Amino acid sequence: MTATKLYRRDGADAVTACALDDIVLLYHPRSGQTHMVISPVPEILDQLADGAPASVAQIHDRLTRSFDLGVPDDAMREIAVHLDALVALGLVRPA
Amino acid sequence: MRQSLTLRIGPATFRIGSAWPAPIAELARLYAAYPQPIDAIADFTVRLQPTSLVRRFIRPSIFITGDHGLADAAPMSLSHGLLAAEMGMNLQMALGWRRHLLLHASSVEKDGRVLVMTGESGSGKSTLAALLGERGWRFMGDEFALLDLDSGAILPFPRLVSLKNRAIDVVAGEVGEARMGPLLAATAKGDIRHMVPRRDAVARMGKGAMPALLLFPRFGHAADMRAVRQAEIFMRLTQASTNYVALGEPGFAALTRFVQHVPARAIDFPTGEEAIAMVERLWEERT
Amino acid sequence: MSAALLVRTLRDPASVAGLDASGWNGLIAAARAERLIGTLAFRLADVAVPPAVMPILSDARADAAREARQALWEADRAAQALGALGVRVVLLKGTAYAAAGLKAGQGRFIGDLDILVPVEAMAAVEQALIAAGWEWVKDDPYDDAYYRQWMHELPPMIHATRDRMIDVHHTILPLTARQTPDAAAMIADAVPLGDGLYVLSSEDRVVHAVAHMLADGDLQGGLRNLWDIHHLLADTDPDIVIARAARHGLLPHVQQARRLAAALYSPGARLTLWDRLIRARLLARDGWGRETRKALIFAFFLRSHWLRMPPLMLARHLWTKWRKGHRPS
Repeated sequence: MTATKLYRRDGADAVTACALDDIVLLYHPRSGQTHMVISPVPEILDQLADGAPASVAQIHDRLTRSFDLGVPDDAMREIAVHLDALVALGLVRPA
Repeated sequence: MRQSLTLRIGPATFRIGSAWPAPIAELARLYAAYPQPIDAIADFTVRLQPTSLVRRFIRPSIFITGDHGLADAAPMSLSHGLLAAEMGMNLQMALGWRRHLLLHASSVEKDGRVLVMTGESGSGKSTLAALLGERGWRFMGDEFALLDLDSGAILPFPRLVSLKNRAIDVVAGEVGEARMGPLLAATAKGDIRHMVPRRDAVARMGKGAMPALLLFPRFGHAADMRAVRQAEIFMRLTQASTNYVALGEPGFAALTRFVQHVPARAIDFPTGEEAIAMVERLWEERT
Repeated sequence: MSAALLVRTLRDPASVAGLDASGWNGLIAAARAERLIGTLAFRLADVAVPPAVMPILSDARADAAREARQALWEADRAAQALGALGVRVVLLKGTAYAAAGLKAGQGRFIGDLDILVPVEAMAAVEQALIAAGWEWVKDDPYDDAYYRQWMHELPPMIHATRDRMIDVHHTILPLTARQTPDAAAMIADAVPLGDGLYVLSSEDRVVHAVAHMLADGDLQGGLRNLWDIHHLLADTDPDIVIARAARHGLLPHVQQARRLAAALYSPGARLTLWDRLIRARLLARDGWGRETRKALIFAFFLRSHWLRMPPLMLARHLWTKWRKGHRPS
């Protein structure tokens, strides 16, 4: 059941961000890697800044407070894909 | 090793050892204006050694190595010994230098500000820097521009300029034979001749300056100019840097600052003369 | 001989006081060639050195710190990929020393990630790594078969996006070697680090480092391996080391490594004739960082293969390698 999958950010995985035009660079000291991302990835990471585990639905709800995300099911599907990509990069961990 | 020379270029000191006298003699002559301390502690050791004992004497072939080396580096003919020494020094810088962010770029300075030019081999960045260096600019380097991690300044690394194929005659005609090295015919990159930078460029090789313009030149196309987005500049500069990853967060901070503060243009040009006119115009108009 | 100078400096850092420029050049070239420049930089951290040497050493310390960070990240990635399997993943060599904060890890060069896993978990580990983005480095069928049939590891894998290698071992020596260490016992006694990662017990670390250096290798990088052993020994109970070494069939090797470490990095030890030959091999490097004594080095290259493989198999292996243009360098 993907609905119960939880994600979290580890304090040790903090990144340094730098915006260049509409691209955001994320430097991740722990891996020494520089990632290039675009919206909504930085915003998704921001929602996990407190380190507490959160589900896709919770992240979606938090984002809707500041952004218009359109059809919830589509938005959540997209958020889930981004989260799994971030897990593969090691910026977000399964909780 | 039988023959050796210690040489200072910009901030780096090289100890070059060779199994044969010729490469060292050529280096000593062409780098006559550079510090050649007898008894110095070197940052890097370069070794030009035979691929085997037989190859020291019969069809001599040079294996280029040193503190940092590539196991699969192709051996070179002894007649290209000068190129081998240059490649050996480049290899040490590319793989071992950590005191600045290394950009595969040429650079020249005017009025205390630096123009940085980066591009693939054949883009014209070397020739352009060499020509500008004869026309009122200070030549700072044709291969590596060193970006200072703290101040954001560009530091010179004015080794010999490596000119290839058609660029040889263009530059030799301008600077005269006395400042040209031997013709190295039919190397892996075609014909190569080295040019000695002007004396004042060598004398001031310890002095950096702040960058004011970044160009991505492209030789052999109809004249054109376009803006480059910051993210693309960042990408291209990380690809043009051999030590970006090794420097970690300080490298990231220095490079993002460079990208955010230095205006950039891509320029296409059909000839060196047109390129120089474009560069001078962009330099006047820079913001 | 600059390797001897390197050993003297590691043993007694204050001895650099009398070095001239050519001495420093030889020391630095040898340290780089032996991949001990980071270790040297840490040893000289509190010693007065000429101004030209300071940036060389601080660069080396920064490189070592970055390597340790990246090695730990690779270990973290492996833990993440293998976590669901529930098997013990034992970190080996440099990554283990860095993860456990050992003195042997200070400034140490760290190359690939080496892990030891139970032999029965190999297939599952291979699948999990592939699922997490690692892929085979070689697609040469001979090499692949050679690794799987005779070596103590999977063929090396590289991560597709991070470009870092992993070596997955199921024992600590090739199956063709004459000694047969008990890998299951090593895994059972391993010490947990958290996140499913383990390091060998302090005594098994010595046994493994010795196996790697004396029973397996052609002594390439031997000065560094011996430096590891020198520090690893300090954390052990000598009686337990002897018992463990005997259990893994490596007692003579461990005793020899102890003598060599004492001879090179401590005040001294009585050496046998064979010890002296190894010491000569370890110190074969000149003031330009070049290997000297080529015949001796080639003899050790042959010996390392002979140790791993019965002679006929060796002949077949070398023939296959040389036909492809491979030569011992």
